[in-house]
Amino acid sequence: MSSGVKPGKYFVQGDEAIAEGAIAAGCRYFAGYPITPCSETSEAMARRLPEVGGVCLQMEDELASIHSVGAASVGGLKAMTISSGPGISLKLEGLGWGIKNEIPYVVVDIQRAGPSNGVATRVGQGDFYTVRYGSAGGNSSLIALSPKSTQEAFDLTIECFNLSEVFRCPVFLLSDETVGHTRELLVIPEESELKIVNRIKPSVPPEQFVMYPLDTPGVIYHPFPNIGEGYGICVSPYTHNSKGYASTAQDIQEKMAKRLVLKITENLDKLVRVEKQFLEDADFSVVAYGGNARPAIAAVEMAREKGMKVGFFRPIIVWPFPDGEVLKVAEKVKTILVCELNIDGQLSREVARASKGRAEVYHLGSGGVEPHLPVQIFDEIRRLYA
Amino acid sequence: MAITIIKDFCKGCGFCITYCPKKVYDLSDEMNKKGYRLPCPARAEECTECGLCDLYCPDFAILLEKTKKKGSIHK
Amino acid sequence: MSAAGETLKLLHPLVSKYLRQERMPHMACPGCGIGQVVHATLLAVDELGLTPKDTVWVQGVGCSSRITYSTWVGDNVDAHHGRIFAVATGLKMARPDMNFILFTGDGDCGAIGGNHFIHACRRNLDVTAILFNNGIYGMTGGQVAPTSPVGAVTTTTPYGNIEDPFDMCQLAVAAGASYVARWKSTDFKPLVNSIKKGVQTKGLAFIEVLLQCPTNFGRYVLKTSQPQEVMKWIKEHSVSRKDAKKLSKEELAGKYLLGEFVYRPERVGIVERYQELLKQHQKE
Repeated sequence: MSSGVKPGKYFVQGDEAIAEGAIAAGCRYFAGYPITPCSETSEAMARRLPEVGGVCLQMEDELASIHSVGAASVGGLKAMTISSGPGISLKLEGLGWGIKNEIPYVVVDIQRAGPSNGVATRVGQGDFYTVRYGSAGGNSSLIALSPKSTQEAFDLTIECFNLSEVFRCPVFLLSDETVGHTRELLVIPEESELKIVNRIKPSVPPEQFVMYPLDTPGVIYHPFPNIGEGYGICVSPYTHNSKGYASTAQDIQEKMAKRLVLKITENLDKLVRVEKQFLEDADFSVVAYGGNARPAIAAVEMAREKGMKVGFFRPIIVWPFPDGEVLKVAEKVKTILVCELNIDGQLSREVARASKGRAEVYHLGSGGVEPHLPVQIFDEIRRLYA
Repeated sequence: MAITIIKDFCKGCGFCITYCPKKVYDLSDEMNKKGYRLPCPARAEECTECGLCDLYCPDFAILLEKTKKKGSIHK
Repeated sequence: MSAAGETLKLLHPLVSKYLRQERMPHMACPGCGIGQVVHATLLAVDELGLTPKDTVWVQGVGCSSRITYSTWVGDNVDAHHGRIFAVATGLKMARPDMNFILFTGDGDCGAIGGNHFIHACRRNLDVTAILFNNGIYGMTGGQVAPTSPVGAVTTTTPYGNIEDPFDMCQLAVAAGASYVARWKSTDFKPLVNSIKKGVQTKGLAFIEVLLQCPTNFGRYVLKTSQPQEVMKWIKEHSVSRKDAKKLSKEELAGKYLLGEFVYRPERVGIVERYQELLKQHQKE
């Protein structure tokens, strides 16, 4: 089957770059439901997936999309779904199934202004906590990467697929309408330059294979056999033992919870990805993520021109939150200004927590619709800069 | 027909007793580990090997071995 | 007896061939009809020559699913409540070569899963779905179901159900399923034949089975805990399609029609249509 990779330079929206990244990563099943601002990804997948022999379905709703995506992965295909805030809320149940059964797949959230239906066509950043904590029951960790550009949307989509296979879990690409709808340069490299991680299969016969390694919670690169491979797999939404048999035993619940948390938190070294600019001599740092990083960087440059020692920090991995890297920044600077497109304060809350009081953390929030303007952030820097 | 009750699987529903056309089964005094009163084929000689008891049993607790007719129970 | 003097465990031949012995006896209540339907399914599987390598059992949530999940010796995929058809879609489109037998219930198929059910019928997804219709929500303790009869006293309709039930078979017919049938759990021969026919039919095969729930439907609706009484009620409230023609509208009220409702294997389903689409558009 064709790899579907089309090397070259393109002038496309982030939404489309995500589709190309998925195909390059080997995604061969996509299911989605139309929702602004990411229907463009569904439309691109509908054109491109059949070209590479993949399955693309517009399902009857958001739930059907994510449940069929998890199932397609159980069926042996790399799979992806996409939505925006209101649809992500609906998908959280399906996400739980994927987390619980350690099923690799990718979920993309192109955030828009909220709450509820909000403003469909305009940017927001209100799902930061939703993707991490929205699925019922806790007892799990989550990986989420966030791109700031069309190029990163392509690159990080591939990263998300790779991480999902290594960690055997659903992985989020947490993006936003700014990135989703901005048209800019995308360079797709030659196929040989791409690093793709494929599904790991068992090397032992079925009677020796442990489907869910509850006794080795921190282990990654654990094989994922699929249906029809003779392993008699059992997948269930209920708490289950290492074979997949439903259980009400407290010790099984404990082991399962630890497995789902520790496999990610004990392997942070494989996950941390951040961007740092001008931090070497900084005593003030701006923090932002996703599309809102662009005006933040511009504001930092404006501040530098005025002689202020301002730096910039961006978590590329937003979950698990890069506590260690944030603490390093907090120990260096006196003040941190977090610029995000929500009024309630989500990223800023994490930054404040991870800073452990080593720096003053301020939240510059906006309800969304427009990203911050560089001058808005610059004015706030100036106001706070001591 | 050779009739064996798989005692650990029986849940004492009584379908074999109720629905056997020849009233082969009775409720016995024997209980399994879970406390269900087991049936017993008290009049096995009346059995016509129809196989209905096996089909009625929801728990795969009746093992039949045809001694008279050939072929699968279902036929 | 083995050489060591240990008694070999006696097992029903279908159990030793197709079910995980560590999961037996299954968890159904005494007298529940689900075991009868599982028995019929295994007879169908056996007669068709299906194997654990080529056949997946798919479940949702409820008695239908908890009892059948991880009993089949092959692959078992248990979905969230109501999502069984969405999960089956992903499984089948990823592995169109495999057989999928779905076990679903009143709520799983007719309430929370209703939307996915009708769309799976519309797409004519090539799977065999067996609906365990016991007229109540069993697993959660006896709440009303969209298949509960009018007037039924349940834990959430203590004054009697004021809603009409779905005719799930008519829904399946209207939505486009290739093969639709309804039987009682004790219609052994027709049920086995229907399941076989369903597996062999391209497109969605929907087989509704009326079965007794002595624990909840029996106790709450019929005021009896005797499974035989519930089975008697089901028998009295069902009539074959053939015999129904002789009955008046009044006589038919509140009765379930048994038999085959539609058989249209010529209706091409999504699996074949998608394969056709790939033939036209797949490059290299």
